[in-house]
Amino acid sequence: MKLKGTASLALLLTGALFLGACTSDTDPGDDGTQASETATASPTAGGSESPSEGETGGEGATDDPCEQPLGITESQEGEVRYTAGPGNWNGYNATTNATYSTYNNAIAGMMFTGFTYFGVDGTICDNTTFGTYEVTSEDPMVVEYTISDDAVWSDGTPVTINDYLLDWAAQNPEFLVPGLASGENPEATPVFDHVSLSLAEKVPDGPQGEVGSKTFTLEYANPDPDFKINVTTALPAHVAAEQSGLTPEELAQAILDKDAETVKQVAEFWNTGWIYEPGELPSDMGTVPSSGPYVLKEGGWQAGTALTLTQNESYWGEPPATKEIVFRFLEDAGQAQALQNGDVQVIEPQATVDTVAQLQALAPAITVEQGSELTWEHLDYNFLESSPFSDAKGGKALREAFAYCVPRQTIVDNLIKPIDPEAVVMNAREVFPFQDNYEEVVSAAYDGRYDEVDLDKARELVEQSGVATPVTIRIGYRSGNQRRTETVAQIKASCDQVGFQIEDINAEDFFANALVNGDFDIALYAWAGSGQITSGQNIYASNGQQNNQGYANEKVDAAWKALSSTLDEAEQLEQTKIIETELWNDLFGLPLYAHPGVTAYDSNLQNVRPTATQSGVVWNAYQWVAAS
Amino acid sequence: MFKYIAKRLGQSVLILLLGSLVLYVLVINSGDPLEDLRESNDPNRENRIQARIANMNLDLPWYTRYLTWLGGAARCVIGQCDLGTSRDGQSVTALVTQAASATLRLVIVATLAAIIIGITLGIVSAVRQYSGFDYGVTLMAFVFFSLPVFWFAVLLKHYAAIQFNDWLPAGQISLRTILISAAVIAFILQAALGGHWKRRLATFGVIFVIVGGVLFYMDAVEWLRRPAVGLPIYILAVIGLAVLVIVLTSGFKNPRVRNAVFATAGIAIVGYAVMRPTLMAERTDPETFRGATLLLLGCLVAGVVLAVLAGQLLGGFSRRQATGAAVVTSLFSSALAFADLMLSHWSGYLAVMPRPIPTIAAVTPNFYSTYWNHMIDTATHLILPTVALTAISIAAYTRYTRASMLDVLNQDYIRTARSKGIAERKVITRHALRNGLIPIATIVAFDFAGLIGGAVITETVFGWQGMGNLFRVGLEQVDPAPVMGFFLVTGSAAVLMNLVADLAYAILDPRITG
Repeated sequence: MKLKGTASLALLLTGALFLGACTSDTDPGDDGTQASETATASPTAGGSESPSEGETGGEGATDDPCEQPLGITESQEGEVRYTAGPGNWNGYNATTNATYSTYNNAIAGMMFTGFTYFGVDGTICDNTTFGTYEVTSEDPMVVEYTISDDAVWSDGTPVTINDYLLDWAAQNPEFLVPGLASGENPEATPVFDHVSLSLAEKVPDGPQGEVGSKTFTLEYANPDPDFKINVTTALPAHVAAEQSGLTPEELAQAILDKDAETVKQVAEFWNTGWIYEPGELPSDMGTVPSSGPYVLKEGGWQAGTALTLTQNESYWGEPPATKEIVFRFLEDAGQAQALQNGDVQVIEPQATVDTVAQLQALAPAITVEQGSELTWEHLDYNFLESSPFSDAKGGKALREAFAYCVPRQTIVDNLIKPIDPEAVVMNAREVFPFQDNYEEVVSAAYDGRYDEVDLDKARELVEQSGVATPVTIRIGYRSGNQRRTETVAQIKASCDQVGFQIEDINAEDFFANALVNGDFDIALYAWAGSGQITSGQNIYASNGQQNNQGYANEKVDAAWKALSSTLDEAEQLEQTKIIETELWNDLFGLPLYAHPGVTAYDSNLQNVRPTATQSGVVWNAYQWVAAS
Repeated sequence: MFKYIAKRLGQSVLILLLGSLVLYVLVINSGDPLEDLRESNDPNRENRIQARIANMNLDLPWYTRYLTWLGGAARCVIGQCDLGTSRDGQSVTALVTQAASATLRLVIVATLAAIIIGITLGIVSAVRQYSGFDYGVTLMAFVFFSLPVFWFAVLLKHYAAIQFNDWLPAGQISLRTILISAAVIAFILQAALGGHWKRRLATFGVIFVIVGGVLFYMDAVEWLRRPAVGLPIYILAVIGLAVLVIVLTSGFKNPRVRNAVFATAGIAIVGYAVMRPTLMAERTDPETFRGATLLLLGCLVAGVVLAVLAGQLLGGFSRRQATGAAVVTSLFSSALAFADLMLSHWSGYLAVMPRPIPTIAAVTPNFYSTYWNHMIDTATHLILPTVALTAISIAAYTRYTRASMLDVLNQDYIRTARSKGIAERKVITRHALRNGLIPIATIVAFDFAGLIGGAVITETVFGWQGMGNLFRVGLEQVDPAPVMGFFLVTGSAAVLMNLVADLAYAILDPRITG
């Protein structure tokens, strides 16, 4: 570093000038404090770091990915402090396009409960405290939902079908906006600014039942294996109705009757009434009730600083372990020191070699857990004719040659293992290495032939493909990602020896231009797991919306069709195996690794459980409690 | 003059208009506003992309979007600003207001401190040109100038926050620390005060004993945990301050200035003795906080008004100098009183916040306490970013002031003044300083314009959401509305301050008028 000399000089000088009285090396008192801290913290931290590393997905004590009840009967006074990174909370309704963000969702997760949630490895878990559901008929597919009789909003109003009616209506079904959900009218503009249309699309008639009832049924147009996550939490319909000058019953009845004019009255409040200017909670806190363990605290929002949630006294499930939770807004750069200083107690920074090393140096007062996330990195071939990998040019032989020369193990060893020592090369697309059925899928679909780099074979295959060497391969990705730059460099070092000429064509607008226009030979990026079983259909099926590289295979299309129309999990697994096998045979692309993640927390805090899902470690924050 | 100002303002509006156009075009072409959605395989992806295109008007041509923004911004003239909404649906007017207040809180103290310390160091090092002190200041100036602020902030957080907080509950100052600190401070001060080696040695000795003694005393009474200043020490400090002000301005030989300053000091002491119990009173109801702040400000204003009166009434023919000296005395004794009030509540604050120095944010969330605890809470949150910002901006002021002072000190009229036998103090304070400060006025004006733009890195590292953050996030999201809101405020401030600098020039330098 250029400034090293100056820096150490400055450290010396400023140390003497400004910090004269409080530098650590001169003060015996300081050592004393740290020693006592060590003594109290070591029993918990000493044991918890090593076993956790052995687990996949990062969880520690238990193998069950779902929430473990703690038997809490009373909340402990005090607060736990967490940061989900930079960004701001800006709305109670986190399902509008304006407010749908990681931050708002983390906070919404504490205020709304529903029928299902994601366990730490992405498993869909049932929340029986809230209610139950059952598939009562397979053809047509009908699901019956029963909300717990105890389930009430924090203002005392029961959670009922009314809330789920609005949840469905807010996704702009046909009766409200003809042609939108079905896609028949491209000019149709939505009435509700909801992020999703899927429920309106899949369940054309919406929830059926009596107004104010605790049970309702959904009839699907086509069988849908993802039904478990279509209906989860809902917003309080009674608030939306009252704020729009309707009674809750009128609104519910209007939705059941498909009375579009009445339902439209609610849209304005639904779209904007739950979004706030920085730091200004609504003057009427009755408009923001909770169906979860925590509720917004009056006066608990300091813009740009923190948002506080406090215990929901009306919550019918296990009360939160600690009375209050504070969400702080904090850039990655300051998180480690804020954790060390106790300003926050749990952090989940961007996992880099530097952050991991910095956090591990804080043990034993701080516990660090490394694991994988449900996001995976991959190299995709371009099948369009402009690319040498297309069947018209180099074809499968050239794709195989490339697969033989890409040093996947070296990439993982050099770039990922320093962050997550348990990281492995990923050999599947639809399942992650830390999930239960990974081994089964991989052993059926892939024989391990590309595990080792085989340059001779690669050279042979390049010749066989008949393209003139050296063949230029443009690897595209979005600029500004050091890890991807290094990945390309490793590939170049290996593949240039066998007749390829790797060209790094990273661009700021890679996703907007090169990827959608097919202007690349290999695309390097990541998919974030959505938790849906069928989301891959968009990517791998011919003409899928996200099939940017022009891949087409009838067997894959058929398997996706079969998979997305069955509720039988064994059958789904079989179809997944077929898809994976075909994708390996055709060499659709090469999966590389699951992204590494890191979580660090105050060792004094109990029940912190990192998760691979996008909900983040905060998912069970209502169980966090300081050891007494 | 009026014509000149009108002409300048007209030009400024034109520049702002052109600037906004250029910036708008640059921002919307700086990236892809749908970036984050394209990489997602969220089932809602298509729907979200459509919604964002509609909300951000991405389907409209750039000039339509620009004119829409301009139309909203133009309404600021009639007091109904509409700066549009950000990507996340929040009103940019509200965002800008919040960010500007955070930034102002963060940078005003730092800038004032940098100006005062920087100019003082610059003057002293110019007067002591080519001395050890001068070289030392020059070296430090370059060190701080080239300091990466994020790195310095990390060091500060480590030593001044984490280590200090660890140390505070039971820490002792070791003898070695006392001796080294005293020696370092004594060495620096003797170098600054200068003189013959005997005098320097004496200065060193005296300061060494004083600093060492104070540190020893602080350690013995656990001053850092239970600091107390109290009225007796306040009285001593104010008298000391008055003496210092007199020495630096007219000297003891001018009875008019002397009387005015001492009268002011007397008023300050009596006033504070009377008001202290009221100011110290425990206030826990947030409703009364506003009243308490007004009371504090009222005391400050009263002090300054009385100082002006004292200067005018007792100043005689040195009325101008007497008034200036009295006002300075009054301001500094108010600051001392404020420090006393804060320190008196420190141990109470420690009882609620055992780790007092935070590394992030502007306030402690959910902190409900007394008025003074809130004051201290704000101060502890401000201290680290302020030190970081001050340290890096002192350097420039020091260098500019030194250069400008040397320029003036080498002029003929200074030699004339010296040869007439005017005391060195008077030569510097009266004849050299005023002219030396003229170029600094421009820099100060520009700095104030720049400060509203925020300190992007400092804000980021310390977790403040100010103007810099607004700009950065807006740019990252390719969201023109917040960026333009930022531009409107900073651009106007720059233009306005530029004008102020020009006008100040005319006042400070008589040669420019007309």
